[in-house]
Amino acid sequence: MVPRGARRALTAEAFGKFLRWLSENDELAVREYQSIRMKLVRYFTHKGCSDPDDLFDKTVDVVVGKIDSCGECPSPLAYCFGVAKNIWRQDLRERKSAALEENMTLPVYPDAQVHEQELKCLERCMDQLAPGDRDIVARYHQGQGHEKIETRRRLADGLGGANALRIRMCRIRKDLRVCVAACVDQWAN
Amino acid sequence: MKNITDRNLLRQYLLGRLDEHADLEDNLSDGILFNDEMTDIVDSVEDEIIEEYMEGSLNSVDREAVDKYFLQPPERQEKLRFAKLLQHHFETKSSRYSGTKHENFVRPPVSWLSHFRTYGQFAALVLLVFAILIYVNGVRRSQARLESELVQERERSSNLAKEAELLQPPMVPLTLVADRSRAAEMPIPQVEIKSSTRRIIVEIALQSGYSGPYDVHLETKGGKGPLWSARLSPLISSSGDARLLFDLPSQGIESDVYSLVVSSPDGALRHYDFQVKLSK
Repeated sequence: MVPRGARRALTAEAFGKFLRWLSENDELAVREYQSIRMKLVRYFTHKGCSDPDDLFDKTVDVVVGKIDSCGECPSPLAYCFGVAKNIWRQDLRERKSAALEENMTLPVYPDAQVHEQELKCLERCMDQLAPGDRDIVARYHQGQGHEKIETRRRLADGLGGANALRIRMCRIRKDLRVCVAACVDQWAN
Repeated sequence: MKNITDRNLLRQYLLGRLDEHADLEDNLSDGILFNDEMTDIVDSVEDEIIEEYMEGSLNSVDREAVDKYFLQPPERQEKLRFAKLLQHHFETKSSRYSGTKHENFVRPPVSWLSHFRTYGQFAALVLLVFAILIYVNGVRRSQARLESELVQERERSSNLAKEAELLQPPMVPLTLVADRSRAAEMPIPQVEIKSSTRRIIVEIALQSGYSGPYDVHLETKGGKGPLWSARLSPLISSSGDARLLFDLPSQGIESDVYSLVVSSPDGALRHYDFQVKLSK
């Protein structure tokens, strides 16, 4: 049993066995693995787990242990998801029995120099946005109180409703996040 | 797979409120995992929660769910951090995006010389017009420079005002000791709310020491409301003093006299009045 919170890695043998189970073709197996990993890590994130990557590794461990007995599996994703649900329920029980007073892990804030660079990168990434997107994100953050609500209402009307605006903003934020991360990485290296 | 478009249900799911409802939780998890079209919707609900968390407009129960559940995964902590970075960027650089219009208008050269056939006759007039044009241009340039300096100055003071606002704490304390029955003995407490204030941290010294829950709601002094309500357990010190400690969102509160009405487990009602002053 690996202690809670301890990082462990899949053994090369287990990982190879898992890939072979996904597909005989190396390229297809890797692609399928990446897709399953992305979806399950996302699932564990939605469920408020503090270490989604670790829970994914645990899921694969369990699946590898059952490969021989489960035989042909029509949908590896569905099978892995079934195991992942059990892993999450187990994690939830452990979280509940852990001390309730335990403080949440606070976000790690970068040092002042990195923060400064992030702001510069953000400015650059804003300039790289399509003019329409740049206008939306700028207007979305404009003003205070009633003025802000009114601006957002007008933006939503122009985009086909409040949900359309939320989804558009979400995509723009994601683009900016990815762009800033790449820019900071480039600066750091 | 059916699309789940009930944003409120997704919100409850993301705040961990459906974890004990196995069937519903299972259905939603399946719907989200196997339907790629759900990704944007779920992500936007996540962003909405983060935005409200930053604005301080979540109620205390949701806020606790965000702290203890929603923000546990590192990816969401990173999303929150980035949202703060973005907000900071627009608070300090808003003028960079507000209505920048580039005027590329170039005045065409006026061939006014062609209007004159006899150079000598109008030489004096030409000189005079030239002199006037140079003078007017000079005045215009100087005016434009002054206007541009004025705009820059305004921008600078607006940025300074915003920076000063950022330095203000987002929370203000409010301690309430005497209820309305003792209003004559003590002046009504006042709380000043600035545009940067998000929450009021309220502490009420209770006159009874019940350990059971107290119902608290906010209303105007005239009894309009409730504008906010909660059921709260008191904090009791080793010496037996009981107090309620909670935070109120400052959103929607205006300059007025308000009252926090506390109903103790024995049914007794006490009104704690306080005055709110909004300031810039």
